[in-house]
Amino acid sequence: MPNVKINPDDVMIKLRGLKKNFGSQSVLSDVNLDIRRGETMVIIGQSGVGKSVILKHMIGLLQPDEGEVTVDGITISTAKYFDTRTIRKKMGMLFQMGALFDSMDTGENIAFALREHHPELSEAEIQQQVTDKLKIINLVPEFRTKMPSELSGGMRKRVALARAIALSPEILLYDEPTTGLDPITSDVINDLILEMQSKLGVTSVVVTHDMVSAFKVADRIAMLYKGRIIEVGSVEEIKKTTNPFVKQFITGQRKIDSEN
Amino acid sequence: MTFVLKPLFFLGQKIVGAISGVGEIFCILFYTLRALPYAHKNVNLIVKQMVAIGVSSVPLLFVTSIFTGMVATVQADFQFRGLVSDKFVGTAACKMILIELGPLLTALVLAGRVGSALAAEIASMREKEELDAYAVLDLDPYRYLALPRFIAFFTMVPCLTIISNGLALLGGWIVSVLALDITTYTFYTGMQYLFQPMDLFAGVIKSFVFGVTIFLLGYYHGLNASAGARGVGLATKDVVVSSCLMILILDFVVAAILFQ
Ligand SMILES: Nc1ncnc2c1ncn2[C@@H]1O[C@H](COP(=O)(O)OP(=O)(O)OP(=O)(O)O)[C@@H](O)[C@H]1O
Ligand SMILES: [Mg+2]
Repeated sequence: MPNVKINPDDVMIKLRGLKKNFGSQSVLSDVNLDIRRGETMVIIGQSGVGKSVILKHMIGLLQPDEGEVTVDGITISTAKYFDTRTIRKKMGMLFQMGALFDSMDTGENIAFALREHHPELSEAEIQQQVTDKLKIINLVPEFRTKMPSELSGGMRKRVALARAIALSPEILLYDEPTTGLDPITSDVINDLILEMQSKLGVTSVVVTHDMVSAFKVADRIAMLYKGRIIEVGSVEEIKKTTNPFVKQFITGQRKIDSEN
Repeated sequence: MTFVLKPLFFLGQKIVGAISGVGEIFCILFYTLRALPYAHKNVNLIVKQMVAIGVSSVPLLFVTSIFTGMVATVQADFQFRGLVSDKFVGTAACKMILIELGPLLTALVLAGRVGSALAAEIASMREKEELDAYAVLDLDPYRYLALPRFIAFFTMVPCLTIISNGLALLGGWIVSVLALDITTYTFYTGMQYLFQPMDLFAGVIKSFVFGVTIFLLGYYHGLNASAGARGVGLATKDVVVSSCLMILILDFVVAAILFQ
């Protein structure tokens, strides 16, 4: 577990009574969650419960039907365009499918936002940044000329991660950062998440199914079940949980204990 | 009772849908024009779109224009034969091509070729969350995606129209000399006879309107495509159908204004 001082009262992202329906399908019914400044919060839950939907609410890509999302003191669930933009300057997001810009090569994917937001940087400095970021995610610099369609799924995800960290955000949302990666590369990503926290003080929210990764990077773990957060706790607390649904999930059983 | 209300309800829904669609299209235009002051900062993106929309459409337009010019000339000759002097074949072909055939044909061909491609591209970007990725990186999609395409459509459709006019007249001249026993001199003086600069300008002015129409409908249907490959297919169909309709309607409207 990471070794960073976290003040439990200093909340960076606050979700209150979040409710979201898509048509007649209710995805989130009442989500309450506090993410503290500097901590790494891991959100676990079965496929399709709405983990990606929660992340998208945190960065203002989706608006809740009811409830409130506050990021660093600014309410973004009702915010005007400009407030959302102020917040987004501080946030980065790794999309589940990568969401790389298909028409740009790898290097350009990483460099594009950097170049637009930092006109003061010279082209050489930007290319240096690209090389550094590729190195961080364990790719050789030669990959910069590859198009996204020429990359494997895992590589695409890593490039997307490099793009997300290129702007040095204060808050990073990772949607399944290690899914589809081999165990060794997964561990490189885990270390990267830890390093972002310890060196840069980044607040992270990680959505994952990978319990090895969850236990390694998390300060706290929250479990989403049927539209609600049913349990939040430190890694130790979650490991010792008595909640049958959480227990079932972290040990990977098809049936819950009481039914056996 | 319900069988009275149901059609009414359906009709009401359609009308509201149409109004909100028109509203959204004007919003797209507004947001795109708002990004216009930044156009000079991303010239490379604009050039790329101009090549994709303009240059690569020339071969197709080459064939359609020459043949349309030939058909128009043969028909003019067939209808006029024995009634008026051969000179008027050139006059009729020239007026027809410059005012109507050139701009209309170019716009219809481009609606099918690049309008549908635009919708498919935007729809798949939305599907793959690329549009969300722009938003998350605090990059305005209207500035980086819509504006370059808007400028390319706005400038390239008139350019292609002028090229098409030239090619159609070339086709008319070739068929006159080779098949209709009209000399180059007769055809040429016929073209000049009754020619007014307004003939050419009217066609070009129309083509600016057509260019913007194809862009707006393409972008709108791309953004509103339903999910999956089927959604992309439907969106491309919708663009072609709606742009062809709008082009024909606007052709009438603009002509009515210009030639009153
Ligand atoms: N834009 C949308 N429109 C309609 N329904 C949506 C949309 N986004 C998500 N959903 C629905 O919300 C539910 C939750 O989706 P979400 O992507 O959040 O699941 P998830 O927990 O991230 O699952 P996974 O682990 O498989 O990624 C799904 O049933 C999905 O169909
Ligand atoms: Mg997901």
